[in-house]
Amino acid sequence: MAEEYEICVASQLTKLEQISEFVADRALLAGMSEDQAFAVQMAVDEACTNTIEHAYEGCDEGEVHVCCYVEEDDFVVRITDHGKPFDPSSVPDPDLSVPLEERQVGGLGIYLMKKLMDSVEFRFDQAHGNTVILRKRRQASR
Amino acid sequence: MEITTTHLKRCDMIALKGRFDSSTAPDLEKALRASTDAGAFRIVVDMGEVEYFGSAAIRALVLAYKECRRFNRGDVRLARVPERIRHVLDLAGITPLIQMYDDPVLAVGSF
Repeated sequence: MAEEYEICVASQLTKLEQISEFVADRALLAGMSEDQAFAVQMAVDEACTNTIEHAYEGCDEGEVHVCCYVEEDDFVVRITDHGKPFDPSSVPDPDLSVPLEERQVGGLGIYLMKKLMDSVEFRFDQAHGNTVILRKRRQASR
Repeated sequence: MEITTTHLKRCDMIALKGRFDSSTAPDLEKALRASTDAGAFRIVVDMGEVEYFGSAAIRALVLAYKECRRFNRGDVRLARVPERIRHVLDLAGITPLIQMYDDPVLAVGSF
């Protein structure tokens, strides 16, 4: 069983930096390149923003758990919360073909998560709350 | 995170430093709004010292871009965009629409 590393922070946007640093460090230690670690950091930041703003609706007393581990060739980040069920499939991807002036401003965070990672999975169940699992393949070993 | 606004003859120059995530993007939005509220619709954003720029910061930038370009009265242009952040702006579909310059002096001169 691969080792898991976890932090738990309060559901506050000011904690995003702490989460980011933790995830970037773990990604680098798992052998990812600086660019890959940056991509993971960004996807996690967007996922945690959604958790804090939508699942907890701005309530700052919830908990956000961020857990990192390696599974075969993948670096995996699992984010869990006990806020309201959040269904990201209800958020449409932004239409990038229309001029910037006419573009809707929402949905960009989830879209970027999907673009930056190899896979993004959302789950909800009563016992565990919302779970987001982000995966990115580590660069080919030297 | 630091934001420094300089009023130049041709435009406002807003220099950004550090991390712009969902907790700090509102400060960016305020700084951009301060310029447009004062009637400065030509804005250069110097991103040379930016470490992180998330979707909330991109939204703030797009809002200002729309506000400035309304009635053809101005534009938001970017200078010294770090490579990784340029990649994110690419993914967000913004790079073909916003003018970017390697040198802030050229960005200011473009107005």
